[in-house]
Amino acid sequence: MPLDRFHKILVLPAVLVFAPLVIGPLILLFQESLRPYEGGSIGGTLNAYLTLSNYTEFWHPTYAKYFLDTFRVSLIVTLLALVLGYLLAHYVVRVAKPRIAKLVLAGLLGVLFISLIVRIYAITLTFGPIGPLRDISWLVGIDPRTRRHTELMVVFGLLHTVLPLVTLTMIGTIQMVNPRLEEAAMSLGAPGWRAFFSVTLPLSIPGIVSAGIIGYAFSISNLVVPLLMGRGFVTFISNLIYFRFSEVANFPSGAALSVIMLLIALGIFFAGTRIVSAIWPPAERSGR
Amino acid sequence: MKRIEDYIGTAIYTTVLLFAGLFLVMPMIVAVVLSFDARSFLGAFPPTEFSLRWYREFLSDDYLHRGLYTSLIVSTIATLVSTVLGTFAAIAIDRGRFKGRATLEAMFLSPLIIPTVVTGFAVLIFTASLGIMDGLTRLILGHILITFPYILRTVLAVLSGVPKRYTEAALSLGAKPWLATIEVTLPLARSGIIAGAIFAFVMSFDEVAVSLFLSDPFTYTLPVALLTQMRASLNLTIAAISVIFLVVSVLLILALDKLAGVETLTGRGVYGR
Repeated sequence: MPLDRFHKILVLPAVLVFAPLVIGPLILLFQESLRPYEGGSIGGTLNAYLTLSNYTEFWHPTYAKYFLDTFRVSLIVTLLALVLGYLLAHYVVRVAKPRIAKLVLAGLLGVLFISLIVRIYAITLTFGPIGPLRDISWLVGIDPRTRRHTELMVVFGLLHTVLPLVTLTMIGTIQMVNPRLEEAAMSLGAPGWRAFFSVTLPLSIPGIVSAGIIGYAFSISNLVVPLLMGRGFVTFISNLIYFRFSEVANFPSGAALSVIMLLIALGIFFAGTRIVSAIWPPAERSGR
Repeated sequence: MKRIEDYIGTAIYTTVLLFAGLFLVMPMIVAVVLSFDARSFLGAFPPTEFSLRWYREFLSDDYLHRGLYTSLIVSTIATLVSTVLGTFAAIAIDRGRFKGRATLEAMFLSPLIIPTVVTGFAVLIFTASLGIMDGLTRLILGHILITFPYILRTVLAVLSGVPKRYTEAALSLGAKPWLATIEVTLPLARSGIIAGAIFAFVMSFDEVAVSLFLSDPFTYTLPVALLTQMRASLNLTIAAISVIFLVVSVLLILALDKLAGVETLTGRGVYGR
């Protein structure tokens, strides 16, 4: 049997199981989003004219707040995670002894291995209105009894996943930067922090941007953190999708919002990766 | 020679690191301590008396047991299916030369980019239109989507570090393609398969958004059960479960490190590119 045919047969079972499971739901989702909805029923009306009204419904100022909240809170989370995560990754790759580095690495993975629900619970116990570290919010000038504290809790909840996520991604980035370059800068008289800011950091920007895209994509599409910690004050687009399903059974509207959400996620991902590879072609990266 | 700016730099660096580390670790410590709290209400920290009441509460909670049972079944079946199909797919994509490999890879990895809420909602509509009303089947289908990309990525990552000439040598010595794959390529991909399977299982076990859409009142996963309980009240049974999660998480990391090395997941593995 020719090798090519063998490999095609090898991949076939996966295609047969996977392709319908990816493509089928997305097509039906799109179809559902074009169906008219009659109040009180579950799902859209079958065999009726198709409509775009499920989409135009969201072209209304009330919804702007949810979109803006999603993007703004996720941006805060991503930026925080990138700053903290870059230093953590730098520590693991450049500073820590091998055993400690491995311990931190295992710790970061361990955090991600614990169910997000359980971590949300633990964060609420720790930083929440009755938690022992509640007053830490004063550090950023937020009164723990106010609405803004709820937003801070959502930031904490998302950060607890995004931080390990981007750190693990950026560990790979920093490993690619040749340590000799930083040493060279220092031997020419640059203090440690200048070598860090003018050599290592600029060389890892493509990796930082990629990590940021991953973290941001995770944040904007997260459902449970705003659901459990937002307490109705912070509502993300994913929450609206879930409410359309769980509370009103308006599937067409939920489907339309899902399509919008999907396009945003794909847009961010592909635009982001395009920009990274256009500005920093893969061959020229890493300074080796 | 150290200068004053170096000391300031190091001080800032260390402070930020400590903050990041404490932020990640503190919640788990608080949860562990509170899980032994003897009080029947959620009181000030630290607790004044300790007991195992919340662990007993968990052991007698049928609602959570059912969730745990469903979770174990769903995650195990989904991981097994994905591991077998994903490993063969990865080998074919890495070692094969047929057209459309990049497209296939993009399709297999697409669930990583599609928001999980969208996946959950879309699979719900899909299964409903096919007349699949059984909660367990729905959940397993959804979880195959979640687990598959992780297996594919880790196996591809490991294979990319293994020269193709090993497989080619076996072929040129007259081994049939399937024999070369089973005897040569598969063992070389071993660490990626194990790391991918453990990782995929964990991701499936922790998944909430997709499960939330695909669960029904009688078939629900553990995270969905926890979510429902948390929306009702903040009692400390969940703290006891946190500790169990923590212990299992540590054991899994140790197993992962022993069998494949934690480094398999960074660099070119699941994280990093």
